[in-house]
Amino acid sequence: MRTRFTLLAALALAAAPALAHHGWGSYDAAHPVTVTGPIQTSKFENPHVIVTVRGSDKVWTLTLAPPSRMESRGAVAAVVAVGNEITAYGYPSTVEKDEMRAERITVDGKTYEMR
Amino acid sequence: MEHSAPAIFVALEQSGFAVAVRQSRWLYPSANVGHILSLVAFAGALAVMDLRLLGAFSATAPGRVLARARLAAIAAFCGLAVTGFLLFSAEAGHVVRNPAFRLKVIMIAAALLNALIYEIGARRAVAKLPPGVPLPRTARASAVLSIVIWIAVAACGRSIAYF
Repeated sequence: MRTRFTLLAALALAAAPALAHHGWGSYDAAHPVTVTGPIQTSKFENPHVIVTVRGSDKVWTLTLAPPSRMESRGAVAAVVAVGNEITAYGYPSTVEKDEMRAERITVDGKTYEMR
Repeated sequence: MEHSAPAIFVALEQSGFAVAVRQSRWLYPSANVGHILSLVAFAGALAVMDLRLLGAFSATAPGRVLARARLAAIAAFCGLAVTGFLLFSAEAGHVVRNPAFRLKVIMIAAALLNALIYEIGARRAVAKLPPGVPLPRTARASAVLSIVIWIAVAACGRSIAYF
C-alpha cells in the first residue's frame, strides 16, 4: 500500500512539468504590458471574464476579474462588449502564449480596477 | 487554448450545463463556498474517525463512534463531489491539464483505496471491540495513511489556482 502510494506520487510529480498550465502564479509581474485595441471576443462568465483584444502587434487574450466583481466596479458586460476600444495594463502569462492578466482596464475614458 | 485536452473534457466544458455554471452569477461562487463548507465537514468527520482509530477517545465504543462519523463523512464527501464537479465542469478542458489537479485526482483515488482496504479488511473486527482496547495495527495504519493522503488532497486542491 505504502509503496504503491509512493510510486503513484512519484509518477504524478514526474509528469507534472510537461503538463504545466495557467494559474495566478504564472504571470510575469516584472514585465507588465499595456495593450490597446478593439475587443474581438468577450465572454462575461465565471470564474473570470475573458476578452480578446487586437493589439498593435498581435491578438491578446485578457483574463479580467470574476463577473460579479466586474459588475460591482461598474465594468458591466456592455463595457467589455465586442467592438469597444479597450486599454488594459497587466502581466503576461509565462505559460499561455499571448495571454495576460489585467490589473486594470480603461474603456471610454473610464478606468476599472480588476483587483 | 484546448489543444491538448482530451475531447471528453472539452465537450464537458462546452456543454450547456457548463455554460450555465459559467454564466450564472451565483452558481459558480456558491459551488466554491459549498466546496469549502463540505470540506470543513468532511475534515471534521474524518478527524473523529482517524483519531479514534489511533486511540483517542478510548473510553468510547469504537464501532458506534466510527459508524456515526462515517455517515457524516460520506454525506460531506457527496457534497464535495457535487460542488467539485460544478467547479470542474466550468473549466474542464483547462483544469484537466493542471498538474495540481491531476495529482489531486490521484491522491483522492489513493485515499478512497485506503478507505476501501480498511472497509474490507478491518471495519467489522474494529466494530466488535469494546471501549479501552487498542485497535489492530492495520486499522491504525489506515488512519495514518488517511490523514497524510487527505492533507495532500487539500493541498493539491488549493494549489490548482497557482499552476
